[in-house]
Amino acid sequence: MAAHGEPLWSPSSTKAGEVLKAGQDQLTVTWSYNQTFPAGTDSAYKTVKVKLCYAPVSQVDRAWRKTVDNLDKDKTCQFKVVAKPYGPSNNSFTWTVEKDIPTATYFVRAYAYNSNGDEAAFGQTTDAHKTTNLFEIQAITGRHMSLDIASVCFSAFSIVSLFGFFYMEKRKGKLAQQK
Amino acid sequence: MESPPNKHIFPFSLPVDSDHKATEFRPFSNSLPHMRAFHLAWLSLFSCYFSTFSIPPLLAVLRQDLNLSAADIGRAGTAAFAGSVFSRLAMGTACDLLGPRLASAALSLLTAPVVLSTAFISSAQSFVLLRFLIGFSLANFVANQFWMSSMFSGSIVGLANGVAAGWANVGAGLAQLVMPMIFSLIVSLGVSSSTAWRVAFVVPAIFQAVTALMVLAYGQDLPDGNYWSHKHPRKASNKPRENVLGVLFHGLKNYRGWILGLTYGCCFGVELTVDNIIAQYFYDRFNVDIRMAGAIAASFGLGNLVSRPVGGVVSDEMGRRFGMRGRLWSLWAVQTVAGLLCVLLGRVDSLWGSAVVMCCFSFFVQAASGLTFGVVPFISKRSLGVISGMTGSGGAMGAVVAQLLLFSGSNKFSTQTGISLMGLLMIICTIPVGFIYFPKWGGMFCGPSNEPSSIDQDDYSLLE
Repeated sequence: MAAHGEPLWSPSSTKAGEVLKAGQDQLTVTWSYNQTFPAGTDSAYKTVKVKLCYAPVSQVDRAWRKTVDNLDKDKTCQFKVVAKPYGPSNNSFTWTVEKDIPTATYFVRAYAYNSNGDEAAFGQTTDAHKTTNLFEIQAITGRHMSLDIASVCFSAFSIVSLFGFFYMEKRKGKLAQQK
Repeated sequence: MESPPNKHIFPFSLPVDSDHKATEFRPFSNSLPHMRAFHLAWLSLFSCYFSTFSIPPLLAVLRQDLNLSAADIGRAGTAAFAGSVFSRLAMGTACDLLGPRLASAALSLLTAPVVLSTAFISSAQSFVLLRFLIGFSLANFVANQFWMSSMFSGSIVGLANGVAAGWANVGAGLAQLVMPMIFSLIVSLGVSSSTAWRVAFVVPAIFQAVTALMVLAYGQDLPDGNYWSHKHPRKASNKPRENVLGVLFHGLKNYRGWILGLTYGCCFGVELTVDNIIAQYFYDRFNVDIRMAGAIAASFGLGNLVSRPVGGVVSDEMGRRFGMRGRLWSLWAVQTVAGLLCVLLGRVDSLWGSAVVMCCFSFFVQAASGLTFGVVPFISKRSLGVISGMTGSGGAMGAVVAQLLLFSGSNKFSTQTGISLMGLLMIICTIPVGFIYFPKWGGMFCGPSNEPSSIDQDDYSLLE
């Protein structure tokens, strides 16, 4: 199923243009039905899924994040923010950025689904070219002091044992020659 | 001849020739010193392959955490083999000077800390540097083959070389299977995924260090003892120590070494490249999960258990029946079939079709590696280390070129097209095998000459 071209939604998020820390900072998303569209178009919408999507700058040379028209194969929006039943207005959700979100530039998209689970409409916090209102997320580093120390210790052991053996070999060689 | 006092088992538990090299190969025995050397050699090289290829199966996670682009991944994959191009050449000389036991253990113990330093990296540049430095450990292949050639007599050296290299190559395949499992296990213990992969690399690092220590503690260079316990280091054939530079140039001058370097680049180099890209290929193209992609990729490398030794055996058998002509024709034929299967692999669209073609391809490409080293020992006895190093280097160089040309991320064509093109290159670059000619034994299209030239007389040894 292809994504619909006309955004029927107007989601917005706080913190556009900012850098958020994964696991710590929060993002508030609000969305409501775009009143300029004919009334009744939204009668089929049952649920809403809000997703975090990669901005084009984070998709460059990364085929695993590619945007394709076929929604089943599209990999732009890989993280779910929230799923809620549909309501035409006063929708908002405050999301604490999850710990495993990688470092990249993002925007937010909201998809509306009908009762069959098919995507019926969508809206996003950025423009059609995905250049405005983007924000960054900084991932939590996986490095840990304890791991660093353990690595240094093992490495030292490795090098020391090598030189220890070299020394022992030389001594054995000298002893063999003295005999 | 005075035998050194330590580590001398006499009489030997295997039948030996006049150099004390074993004339029988019993892979399931651990008899001193020959079979024990075999087990230590393949196990320590196995750990080096395991370390080098512990990264590709986890790329799907690493690329998120390190914000890698496809170009970064390609550069790192190329770097992984670029280092070994030079280190393999240097290892030949190191084996001459220090003996394979010390040379290989030193390399393993010096690169184990690099594997551990995966815990520290957090940028694309450090990732590329990491893969470059870990790749140095693949020089242990030369030490492995050198050690086997020192321990096993000419009649079975092809088999010994093939099994030692083949079983060691399985390390690349096993890493693809085991690393995702280790990673998943650590994650299931509650560790975040971006820490879990850093912890996972402790396993290959410790394994590598342990095998190196075992080589130092239990191995010996020669059937009679170690290099350093003799007053002057000498080859097992009791020749006086050759001038190292002389041996080096003698080997480099031999055109057959260059041709085999090229063809080895097209079988083993291709194998290394596929080891690097195949897990990501299945993950991205067919949308399987990380462990399934690892399992499929592993079945490529695991074939080495059987296919490379079979290549060596086929070479020996063809050699027995048809002489050198048989060895060369079988090398050409097997490698060309491998090239055709590689072209096919890039064209198949289904998951299971790809997996099946990949398995067939793995058998032929690995057998071709075994067949190559069925010809290498005959090129020069005096410069065996150098020729082995040139061929081994050519293998790594082939991997570098293939990655740069076809899989460096900035390509205009897809991975599957790259795979088909790689198959085409394989077929073209195997043709030079037809140009190999030994005055004493002939070549693919010509019989042996009636008057072997006196210049070449010293080069050849009848290893039969």
